[in-house]
Order: sequence, then structure tokens, then C-alpha cells
Amino acid sequence: MDILANLALGFSTAATPMNLMYCFAGVFLGTFIGVLPGVGPLAAVAMLLPVSFYLPPETALVMLAGVYYGAEYGGSIASILLNIPGTPSASVTCLDGYPMAQQGRAGVALFVTAIASFFGAMFGVVVMVLLSPALAEFALLFGPAEYFSVMVLGLVAASVVSNHGALRGIMMVCLGILLGTVGVDVNSGETRFTGGIAELRDGVNLVVVAMGLFGISEVITSARGATRSYATAKISLKQFLPTGAEWLRSIAPAFRGASVGSFFGTLPGTGQTVASFVGYALEKRISRNRDNFGKGAIEGVVVPESANNAAAQTAFIPTLTLGIPGSATMALMLGALMIHGITPGPRLITERPELFWGLIVSFLFGNLFLLILNIPLIGLWVKLLQVPHFYLYPAVIVLICVGVYSIDNSVFDIWVTLGFGLLGYFMRLYKFEPAPLLIGFVLGPMMEEFFRRAMLLSRGDPLVFLERPGSAALLGVSVILLIWAMLPGRARKQKLA
Amino acid sequence: MINRRHMLSLLGLAAAVGITAGSTSVEAASDWPEKPVRILVSFPPGGSSDLVARLLAKELGEKLGQQFVVENKPGAAGTVAAMALKEAANDGYTFMLSNLTPFSVAPTRFPDTPYDPLTDFTHVSYIGTVHLGLFVRPGAGASDLESFIAMAKDDPDNIDYGTSGVGSWGHIVSVDFTDKTETQLVHIPYKGSGPMRLDFRADVVGAMFDAIPQNLPAVADKEAIPLAVSATERIATLPDTPTFRELGYDIVAENWLGISAPADIDPEISAKMDATMQDVMALPAVDAQFDTWGIIRSTKTTEEFTDYVASQFTDWKPLVMKASDK
Repeated sequence: MDILANLALGFSTAATPMNLMYCFAGVFLGTFIGVLPGVGPLAAVAMLLPVSFYLPPETALVMLAGVYYGAEYGGSIASILLNIPGTPSASVTCLDGYPMAQQGRAGVALFVTAIASFFGAMFGVVVMVLLSPALAEFALLFGPAEYFSVMVLGLVAASVVSNHGALRGIMMVCLGILLGTVGVDVNSGETRFTGGIAELRDGVNLVVVAMGLFGISEVITSARGATRSYATAKISLKQFLPTGAEWLRSIAPAFRGASVGSFFGTLPGTGQTVASFVGYALEKRISRNRDNFGKGAIEGVVVPESANNAAAQTAFIPTLTLGIPGSATMALMLGALMIHGITPGPRLITERPELFWGLIVSFLFGNLFLLILNIPLIGLWVKLLQVPHFYLYPAVIVLICVGVYSIDNSVFDIWVTLGFGLLGYFMRLYKFEPAPLLIGFVLGPMMEEFFRRAMLLSRGDPLVFLERPGSAALLGVSVILLIWAMLPGRARKQKLA
Repeated sequence: MINRRHMLSLLGLAAAVGITAGSTSVEAASDWPEKPVRILVSFPPGGSSDLVARLLAKELGEKLGQQFVVENKPGAAGTVAAMALKEAANDGYTFMLSNLTPFSVAPTRFPDTPYDPLTDFTHVSYIGTVHLGLFVRPGAGASDLESFIAMAKDDPDNIDYGTSGVGSWGHIVSVDFTDKTETQLVHIPYKGSGPMRLDFRADVVGAMFDAIPQNLPAVADKEAIPLAVSATERIATLPDTPTFRELGYDIVAENWLGISAPADIDPEISAKMDATMQDVMALPAVDAQFDTWGIIRSTKTTEEFTDYVASQFTDWKPLVMKASDK
């Protein structure tokens, strides 16, 4: 059995005391950095990159990977407690996680997040062990037409996610796409909608949009007197535990989320975000509990968390097997390897098997550490909600500003964040949700890029999207999802009328 | 530990406040550096140029007994970082990893660029250069440049090629190439080299103009055939690949790297920085690391480097304008 031999090699690399120690240090620091608003996995990995120069390559990679998924988890904590997602994929967790916190069930939401993340990550690791080489080839089958169709699916899923009707969702997606067009156009090199401001030449930063729409607007809303009476005085383990019925209801969604996540994770660039949105949209259609989605349904936390953590693991497949990073965070990981003179690529698995399999096995340990570390900490995080507003919110604003500034060391970004905060506040007043806007903003520019590339390559023939089977299938699923989203809505309205 | 960069910038701030308080004491160049030194980088963390800066920062810091802090200021083709450098105090505590795009290309491409690549800066140390290659897929049907050009002439507007973006050096060189070879190719722009190489491996685009180092593994695996390189003579990592010049096309492109400072810094500080840079780059470990990154080193004095930046700007100017028209 090849797989067993590989795993044995992986264990012998990952289970050394030094690697275990750095793995633990990585997830620990990653979690704490990730909790800070505006500081996502990219910033966390960048901060700790210099430390890795002094470590052997396996240890460096194990530690940085720990920081990466530790920060992913930390981002979910802020999403649930304060409605401030660290990453676009965590904005899906806000949809049900934050209502749970408002109902005084923050502990349960955090507990479920820890378990679902662990489950999703384990699922992703198993997929990696069994299918790595095959999935790398699969990523190569995706041309511009297929990517375009994946983005369409992601956007349809995002509109369906909205709790105030698909129409409002679609409007927000479109606004997001429009905001995404600011900056240099990839195909002509011309700047669009920058108003002559040099800082906007590369577009508006994603973290800036997310922190403004979610974080700042949350603070404004709360300062305007929204009551927060959900802080519980005593915190015991009992209060974190979901009810028996909730455990049972979560099993199937966890599997569905992790499968969706593992699939989308292998696609460079978009994986995690599309995975959480598609997973959530799918669940919202098929769940028996669908009417409670957006009001604190436990499945609404389980699905995006298992999906995005499975995707976080499988995202390593194209990075390590093809040597081509799928995201900025992955580019940083490759950078860490390169500084040790290792060139990632198709030969990495055969030439440095101890590194590849050691890393995969370290995911097992890292996620286990994450679980052990976080369950006792839930009480601490929930206590954060007991901090009086007049201390908590100014601190949150300061942290957001620091986080936003640290991305590009730009003061301009802080002002833009505050602007988006005001926009977010008015959107709340008129019941428009920020999550679909955010995914429109992320996927819109990519969709345009892939659409125009596919059209360039086909010399202007739009049939290319239907002639390629992968693309046609994805577009078909999108149409079905859209129709599906419209139908039960109408049926329910008729019942009411 | 939790937030090293912010702590360092706080330290820097504290130090700055200290200096303003005792502003009567004139700082002697021989004492430089007395507080952490910033190196601005015009790329996000993780790229090869960012790694160059981080490696140099570590070694410079050890040699001079002060922290050298890498500060990423990506954006607007590197002009955001260059503007920040221009506006920084010329006290020897801010440098930038200068390179081709913001200093040789952007001022021509964006006429409203608010700095002059020569008069607004002190160009201190030259580091080295990376070259560009024209690569094709093994299945594309061309094994050398002549057969590629013949294919392009047989069927104009049929061959697709990728570059890492409109206005990138690959794009500028490709326009020069089609001009000098009198061929018509279809340009497929990408957002950076990574996504382009993915499509190249998947046979979505059959040819690309890209920096050489990141493509060496693909060449070794016979997944990419290098047809020609943009250097003045053959390069060590691709000894069998001819230069464009050898084949009769006068195409040369160097993506240079250096260390620059704001205008008029103390010449003594500049000299000390340059001397330390030369020491650091002579270290066998640094030299070997530059080799693996494919950076071709050569020595230039501060004066030679300044002249080089000036000549690069004038050399690129007509090419950039030609590419902007298309």
C-alpha cells in the first residue's frame, strides 16, 4: 500500500518534538492574530514569515500552515461574536453565527465552529491523501470558460443566500460587481472609475470593503442603541453544547459542506469563498430547517465552516503539486519554500516526499491542536461580549484601523473603510445584506477577466461556454439553482396569501 | 511577538519623537544607523523581489547591528512605493528596493506620475537583473525561434501568447517582438505570471513572454521550450538557448533590482550603505540564494548605477510608448 508507506513517512517527519512544537505555536499564534479584525491569514502568515527563515524547511512550512488555518479559525470567532468576518468566506458564517450570538448562544456557535472546522479539515486531508495527483490534473482541465461558469455559479449561490429575498440579493451582487470594476482593466490597461486617485488604480481592497460593510457598520448600529442583552453571566461547558437534536441535524450538512469545500478548494483563487457560499445556498434549499436559515440555524454555521476548512486544506494541492500558488497566502507559502532553495512543482512529491507527506500529516496534528486549544477558550471569547460597549466598540474601531492600515501601509484605505462603514449602515437600515455584495465584489472582476479571456481565445464565439462540457454543466447547475430558489419562495408566499 | 511589525513601527515612532526632541544634535553619518531602517518594497509579500528584500534586510541588519524592516507598499505599478520614497525624510532611514517598473516604465506609461525617476531619488546600490524569455509548449509545433516566426507568418492572428498584463515588461517586449519580426500574434493578458503559467501548462495558451527563473523547472521537465532570451549574451541557467540578438532581432530587456533612497541623502550614509550592500552580496550564502532565484549579479558603482537608471529610462521610453498605442 503506497498510501500507508507515504503516511508513515509523513508521521515520521511531522511527529518530531520540534515540528509538533512549531505546529502548536503556529496554530496558537494564528488563532490570536486571526481574531483581530482586518487581520486575516495573509497578514498572519506575512508577519511570521521571517521566523521561518531560521527553521528547517519542513518545520517552517508546518508552522506557517498552522498559522494559516489557525488564522482562518480565528476569523470565524470575530464573525460570530461581532459580525466582523476576517475573510470573505467567513462572511457566510456571520449569516447564522451572529444571530446565534445575539440569542445568547455564542458559546454553542463557537463550539460548533470548532467541531465543524475540524471535521471539514479532516475531510479535506483525507481527500488530499487519496486524490492529490488526480486533483492536480483536474485543476488543469479548468480553462477560462470553466472558471467563468464557476463564478456564475458562485454569484447565483450568493444571491440565493440573502434572507430578504433573491431580488435584494441580486441587487447587492450587482453593486458588488460594479465596485469591483474600479481600477486598471486587465485587458486594455486603462483605469476605470478611479477619479484620478492613484490609490484606486489597483481597485478597492477586499479587506477594506469587508471591514467597512460588516465591522464599522456593526459598531454604528450598536452605538445607535441596538440592545445587546445576550451576554450570559456564567459560562459552563453545558452552555456550549448543542442539543441532541442539533447534533443529529448537523451530521449530513457537515458531510455536504466538506464535499463541496474539497471540490472547490482545488480551484486556484476562488476555492474557499465559492465553497462556503455554494455550500450554504445548497443547504438552504435542501435543509428541512431551511426557514430558520439566517435566524441562527446551526446548519448555517456547520456548512460554511466545514466547507471553507476543507477547501483550505485542498487549496494546497495545486500549490504544492503544480508549484503555482492559488492565492496570495499560498504565494507566501511558496516563498517560504523558495527561501530554503526548494522549488515547488510536479516533482516535489517524488523528490521531497518527506516534506509533502510531513506537511499533510501535520495538518492532522495542527487541527487537533486547534480543537484542543479552542474548546477551553470558548468561555474566554464569550466573556468578550460582556465587556461594556463603551470599551469594546472603540477598541474594535482601533483594531480595524490598525488591521486595514497594515495591509498596504496606506492611510487612504482607512478613510475608504469608514466610507464603506456608512454605506453598510444605510444598507442595514433598508434591509440589504452585505454578504452578497462582498462575493459580487470578489467574483465580479474575476468573472469579467475569465469571460474576456475565453472570448479572446475563441475569437469572439460565445458558444465556447456551452461547447465545453465542464462549463456547460456548471452553467446548467446555476440555472437549476436559480429556478429552485424562485419556486419554493413563490409557493410559500401563496400559502401566506 | 503577536504583532512584530506594528511593534517595530511603534519603536520607530518612539525613536523619531526622541530625535525631534533633541533636534539640536546633528547626527553624524559614522553613527548611522541608530534606529531601525525601512526598506520599501513595491510588491506584496511573497514574490521573488519581496524575498530579495527580506534576505537583504536580515543580512544588512546583522552587519550593521540595527533592524532593517521590510515594508510592503504595493500598488499602481510600483508608483505607490516610489511616491512614498520620494516623500520620506532623506535621513538615511528609508530605502526602497528599486526596480524596472516604477523607475523605467511607469513614468512614461502614466504621464501623471508625480516623480522624476532620476532627480527625485538617490540610486545607491545595483543588485542584479532577471531576463525574459519567449517560451512555447512542446505541442505547439515550434522548436526554435525561426520555426515559430514562420508559423506566425503562415497564419497571422492565429497564435495566442500570454504576458503578465497590459503594460508589463513581457507585454512591452512582445510588442517590440511582433514589430521587429513583422508578425501578428494574439495577446492574452493575465494578472501576473502565476495564473498565466497555469494556463500555459493546461495548453490554454501555447506561448508566453515571461521572466526566466520561475520557468526553469518547467523547462527541465520539458513542459516549456525556451526559444530565445532577452539578454545581451547567453545566460548560465539556459546555456543552449540563443539570445534574440544572436538570431538577428535586437531585443534586450532587463528587469533590474537595486537599492534607492530619497534625493540628496548624506553621501557618507549612501557610501556606507553601498559598502555594506557589497559585503552582504559577496557572502556565499547570499550569492547562492541569488543564483537559485535566477538573479544575474554584476557590480556597478553608485555612479554607474545612477547612469544605468538614466539609460534604462531612455531605452524603455520608445518601447513603452509603442506598447501603449496598441
